[in-house]
Amino acid sequence: MAVALLGAITHQTLGTWASVHPRPGSFFGRFRTVPSASFANAIVVLYALAAILGAIVYLYFRVDVRPGLEQAGHWPALGFFDIKEHFISIGAALLPAYWVCWRRPRSDDPGRMRAALTSILAFIVWWGFLVGHVLNNIRGFGS
Amino acid sequence: MTSSQSFRRFAFAYGIAFAVLYVVALKLDLALFTVYPSFGLVVLGTHHSKDVVDPALGFVVPAMYWYGWTATAALGALVVGLVAALLPQRWMRRFWPGWLWVVPAVAMSACVYLTMPWFRL
Repeated sequence: MAVALLGAITHQTLGTWASVHPRPGSFFGRFRTVPSASFANAIVVLYALAAILGAIVYLYFRVDVRPGLEQAGHWPALGFFDIKEHFISIGAALLPAYWVCWRRPRSDDPGRMRAALTSILAFIVWWGFLVGHVLNNIRGFGS
Repeated sequence: MTSSQSFRRFAFAYGIAFAVLYVVALKLDLALFTVYPSFGLVVLGTHHSKDVVDPALGFVVPAMYWYGWTATAALGALVVGLVAALLPQRWMRRFWPGWLWVVPAVAMSACVYLTMPWFRL
């Protein structure tokens, strides 16, 4: 689910920032032929589901994993994880506005607003993925 | 059309208000509830174990505030969003759409700043 979200939001973000008139047959030219708006519903659903599942798993992390990391002195890793949880919450609250920007756009909407909102969500998803991945493997580092 | 415009106002106001209120909740430690995952217990308000029993208890019985901070911000943002949805459309003409991404970006930076003590341990 997280990988599907990662793929969808990355594709949409790159498609949003890519040149409007790319070279025919180029990578970004083919990239832009996929309508970015079609990803919006999937991204909202995947983000919400990933956040809910993450919130459930977080309970077990706090009891079973985090004390071990604290005893081992992995404070920066725990700091990165705290930042991740803050970002996830802020990103979840942006989902309704994100959906409106993609699925109910107005002609006077600045294009930059949609691109910026999508980029923020992409940053949050990538941050969550990378930090989660590092924490998942951290006990193996240096062993 | 009208309901669509109302939802638009709600969505924009909710996203912005949540970002601001989340930082406030984090800074002031205003969790709507505290979760004790070891016991499967949820207590209303912000509770620190060491406040009442022993500092060591915070380690033995971990408390979680993230759910509570999120709930606090969500509740406040819901009120702001509903008020925005009820406002006349003409009031929104003064609204700069850039706030929709500037405020969350600043809030994210503030969250990083408030988390900095972890990196000094």
